Amino acid sequence: MIERDLTVSNRLGLHARATAKLVQVLSAFRSNATLTAKGREVNAKSIMGVMLLAAGQGTHVKLRVEGEDETNAADAVIALFDRRFDEDS
Amino acid sequence: MSVGVLLITHSGIGSALVAVANRLLNPLPLRTEALEVPFDADPDALLPLASAALRRVDDGDGVLVLTDLYGASPSNLAARVSRLGTPVRRVSALNLPMLLRVMNYSELELDQLPAIAAAGARNGVILDDA
Repeated sequence: MIERDLTVSNRLGLHARATAKLVQVLSAFRSNATLTAKGREVNAKSIMGVMLLAAGQGTHVKLRVEGEDETNAADAVIALFDRRFDEDS
Repeated sequence: MSVGVLLITHSGIGSALVAVANRLLNPLPLRTEALEVPFDADPDALLPLASAALRRVDDGDGVLVLTDLYGASPSNLAARVSRLGTPVRRVSALNLPMLLRVMNYSELELDQLPAIAAAGARNGVILDDA
């Protein structure tokens, strides 16, 4: 299992478009992934799950990935967070 | 191989939902169309339009038909469309979480998608007093 602490740094936070992008990125992998924020753990491969976090800019989230391709899946998510979900450009 | 999705709704609803889903998940993983039923429409005149839309989204694996209000004209039209021969499953109370969840399970077969859609719609209702 891989665990990483990430920060939502794009201006709009984990809004619908960013969430959809995250879920689409993860759907390419077989591993299970969760995000935890504000005491709530959700399935990171579910759009409504991630939306439930209502995570605005600056929110700290913990990513957990577990499965055969967990390294690549975690890297892809970390890269997406680093790129601010391709927003704010 | 993939299932097609046809939204049969009242005016102004289906195409708006498809447009939002398209912005969020571009491109949509399933072939999707919206057919909106005007208030004064003649159901018999709409059947050929609905049938044509059904055939456009069908890839050979059947079509998931989503309607906005059970028992209303659009859903009655959907019921008639599903008797034309193409494998069809129908789910009512279409909303955006339902549509997004269906797209998120695009690899599933037609018979598995109604439960996916229903859970999406139900779980999308959140009493937001946090």
